[in-house]
Amino acid sequence: MALRPDRPNGMRQSRPRIGWAIALPVVLVLAACNSGEPRSADPVVDGTVHVCSSCHGLDGRSINPTFPRLAGQQHDYIVAQLKAFRDHTRADPHAHTYMWGMAAELTDKTIDGLADYYSSQTPVAGTLSDPALMAAGKTIFTEGIADRQVPACAGCHGEKGAGVGSIPRLGGQHQSYIAEQLVNFASMARANEIMHDNSKNLTPEEIHQVAAYVGSL
Amino acid sequence: MNHCVRIGAKLRHAFAIVGAVTAALLVGIASADALPSYARQTGQQCAACHNGFPELTPYGRLFKLNGYTFGGGQSDLPALAVMLQGVPSFTRTEGSQAGGAAPHYGPNNNFGALQSGSIFYGGAISSDLGIGAFAQATYDNVGRSFAWDNTDIRWAKSTTLGGETVFGVSLNNNPSLTDLWNSTPAWRFPFINSALAPAQQPTATMIESTYAQQVLGLNAYAMWNRLVYAEIGGYKTLSQGTDNALNGSTSTDAFQGVAPYWRLALQPQWGRSSFEIGTFGMAASIYPGRVYGFGTDHKTDIGFDAQYQFLTDQHSASLQASWITENQSLDASQAINSTNSNNHLRSLNIKTSYYYEQTYGATLGYFRIDGSGDPVLYGPGTSLNSANNSPNTTGWIMEADYIPFNHGGPDIWPWLNMKIGLQYIIYTKYAGAATNYDGNGRNASDNNTLFLFDWIAF
Repeated sequence: MALRPDRPNGMRQSRPRIGWAIALPVVLVLAACNSGEPRSADPVVDGTVHVCSSCHGLDGRSINPTFPRLAGQQHDYIVAQLKAFRDHTRADPHAHTYMWGMAAELTDKTIDGLADYYSSQTPVAGTLSDPALMAAGKTIFTEGIADRQVPACAGCHGEKGAGVGSIPRLGGQHQSYIAEQLVNFASMARANEIMHDNSKNLTPEEIHQVAAYVGSL
Repeated sequence: MNHCVRIGAKLRHAFAIVGAVTAALLVGIASADALPSYARQTGQQCAACHNGFPELTPYGRLFKLNGYTFGGGQSDLPALAVMLQGVPSFTRTEGSQAGGAAPHYGPNNNFGALQSGSIFYGGAISSDLGIGAFAQATYDNVGRSFAWDNTDIRWAKSTTLGGETVFGVSLNNNPSLTDLWNSTPAWRFPFINSALAPAQQPTATMIESTYAQQVLGLNAYAMWNRLVYAEIGGYKTLSQGTDNALNGSTSTDAFQGVAPYWRLALQPQWGRSSFEIGTFGMAASIYPGRVYGFGTDHKTDIGFDAQYQFLTDQHSASLQASWITENQSLDASQAINSTNSNNHLRSLNIKTSYYYEQTYGATLGYFRIDGSGDPVLYGPGTSLNSANNSPNTTGWIMEADYIPFNHGGPDIWPWLNMKIGLQYIIYTKYAGAATNYDGNGRNASDNNTLFLFDWIAF
């Protein structure tokens, strides 16, 4: 581009093509408008999944252990939790901080659509942990602890921790999230009579072991 | 026709369209049901989006990226919020400020009932259309003036281009205001300074809010797969009349044409960690003091920044760092005022914070500005009043904060948030020297400042 004589020398490098610099992203935007699969035929669900993904990760595969992985979670369990957040019957600290607000305006139809979406995603593969921890955790998971009335988790949650119906998938879940829920159940911070009875007699070390094992499934 | 004027005309036209559309949308505001206005909009506690305050968590960054439109709350209140800073405050400097720290205030140990008050529109303008805003207007109770403040009105949309891609457009009035991280100038630490103490950064590069609220910019941004962020924008200075009306100021600079702004960042995240590394900058041709006929100055700022956050319920740690280098070609200033023909200025800022339960926080920061000496810009008689004609200023900032309502306010008003802070600034160098920087015996340490403040938002 020829140097224009009416501009001082300092201007020579100072004329980026502003028009193109703004036009190019706009062109990309317009080109992109019709690409990509919607997450649901229901636009409300589609938009809501986008919001959920900011914490729970793209496709429900959360990175941060504060937020549970939802990919491949049981449909009926998701429905029950979202309703519990909405009516505040689930009141553990993170539920209060994050989920009460998120669920407050959800309709039953949207809840059902969210559960359809997340239950159909491919679950995250388990993460291996310390072998001794996993071995000890496996014993508790498959056999329970008879003399302290701790049943085998597999009895309800399944051999692979896949869950069924309104009993949640545990396999592949963040270890620290599992541990946190067991602590919440034991203390009744998260109200659930059955899980309270199942977890109240676990020591912190045993919680750590079980979480390591299910996180590897 | 001159290439610059053609671009300028196109952008003026674009600004006019955006301005009209924005005004039309603001008139027909949809109720934001479902700032504290952001908490009301999402139904979430402040700590969900903020690490301490106002630093953003990864979720807070996504809220901003997506146009401030995420909903979920049940409040029918409009998306308005009020912030009061220094309500009250106490400022003590090691050496008194002869003549008073500010009009109506004494030379030291100043108690202030209110430093500033702001009103915000913060939240969705139309969730359906993906338009939201952060818009602020501030009454400065020390300078006794009312002016518009940081404003960012944006439209955002999410799609899939080989990975989630969020893109958007922002109309805003401060370069780096649109950024998501707290390592670029508009949103970096310290988040509050005493108005009754010597300036903590007595001179600054252009991109460090020098032209905040004196410009209007249109930016386009995109974030791919929550990993790569890119943004470009163009800023124009307001006309003299508009500047006077919105800012109450008179002799400001004017840009020739449009000043470009750019930003590129990478944000890998893993477990509870979020890391960012990036670059940013702007370039402008400037009529200093709106004096025409002597050509223009030209300034180019190039910055590099990084941020790291490790966030858990109980313990949160973060670190931000940025380094900005500015090249100034001062053809016009030299012709008008006999400054140097060419100056450099560099600005380094680093800080690290720790928060316990998002309630008790401690921050340590280091700042250093250094550059070419210039008698006309920094020498005796200027605002820096440097006997060495030097802008060089270096120091440390320590702050302890108590944020009692980060997990929800009192029952009577759950969205109230408050920060009670104690800030101490130590200067190891000020305006070019550690001792006798002004030729009248004032040392850098005389400017050491203790600032106790309360800051509330509701």
